[in-house]
Amino acid sequence: MTNHEDCNEKSDSELVKLSLDNSDHFLCLTRRYEDKLLRYIMRISRLDREDAEDILQDVFIKTYYNLNEFNPDLKFSSWIYRIAHNQTISEIRKKSIRPTISLEKEDIDRFEDAFDIVKDIDNSIDRQKIDEALSMLDEKYREVLILRFLDEKDYVEIADILKKPTSTVGNLIARGKILFKKEYEKLK
Amino acid sequence: MENKDISQIAFEKIKESGIKPISKNVFNLKRVLFWSLVGFAVLVGAVSFSVTLSILFNNDWYLYNKFGFGFILKSLPYFWVICLLLFTILGEFYYRKTLLGHRHRLMTIIGAYIILTVIIGSILYLFGLGEIIEQSISANVPVYNAVIFDRNGFWSQPEEGLLLGKIIIVDGSLIKIVDADSVIWDINIGSASIDKQAKIGVGKIIKIIGDKKDNTIIFNAEEIYPAGNGINQDCCTVR
Repeated sequence: MTNHEDCNEKSDSELVKLSLDNSDHFLCLTRRYEDKLLRYIMRISRLDREDAEDILQDVFIKTYYNLNEFNPDLKFSSWIYRIAHNQTISEIRKKSIRPTISLEKEDIDRFEDAFDIVKDIDNSIDRQKIDEALSMLDEKYREVLILRFLDEKDYVEIADILKKPTSTVGNLIARGKILFKKEYEKLK
Repeated sequence: MENKDISQIAFEKIKESGIKPISKNVFNLKRVLFWSLVGFAVLVGAVSFSVTLSILFNNDWYLYNKFGFGFILKSLPYFWVICLLLFTILGEFYYRKTLLGHRHRLMTIIGAYIILTVIIGSILYLFGLGEIIEQSISANVPVYNAVIFDRNGFWSQPEEGLLLGKIIIVDGSLIKIVDADSVIWDINIGSASIDKQAKIGVGKIIKIIGDKKDNTIIFNAEEIYPAGNGINQDCCTVR
């Protein structure tokens, strides 16, 4: 098994190359993204942690199976997020559930800062309102806002994850922000 | 609930199931395939553009005076314009399938496609390939002639003053031509205005505007033009 310290020094692209020679290195890559992707999957789905973990397992297996498809012209993180996004959407459709958001405290803080929202003393009220306001948005706005403000991805990364033009991502974020604020104000 | 070590579980599943990454060749082949399809779409678009140019530049615009706007509408190269539009859509679709194709706006991709097809198409036209391609398709693909404007048929209306045929004899101001139905006509070209590009020589196909003498196969030519686009070069033979 590979040493974790060795892994930390390597870039994603280097680890992909090494994983293709020796699958043990793949574990370093998945550990690097495990928490982020699990949070992302839970954010964009109504699934509980256990179901989200099942999806993540499939994401890792799919990623390994398609590892040769990875092209360093794209960021590895964008590529694996795309796989996670597609897998999650596919599961949501299979289970016919309406996607909603699962927010943690740091998520709420980030959102409040990004949207200049006055913080409530009771954090759970903020969470509920943000959650509700986001859930009211169209999927196309919700997914870009989550990637931009919760996963802190830049426009090009979001474009690569969602396979949309960069300019469209910019427009969706701008419009999504307005719509989110409107929905949030309604809940006051 | 205890958090699972998802990475470890997935890793063990990969090992246990003996999953191996799909060969790089498969993905390389996919990339080459999509880029080839983009290239093919650009090429067909360029050919369509060059043929469109060729037809438009060689269209019988002078017939507007005789037949009005209806003739112009009938004679436009709709087939090639539709072909151009279709391959613009296909080119955009295949480009989107390439690695970074999704990053660009629809209008940017279509704009780039149009610029490429116009440049390549104009070069093909300047080298005369538009006309060659059109004539080759017309001669070898029977269905093509069924969907385009029937220029041969249009020019084979002697009662309407339109005649098309191959010159078989030149004798001063009198020539003989054979038309698409193998009828041999006596043409008086003495007072005809002859287009610069029309050559009066045996074996040349010409289009004539004039006047047919009643119940005869004698035709007084007023204007003579070269065969040009859309005319089947094997149209007129002596049986």
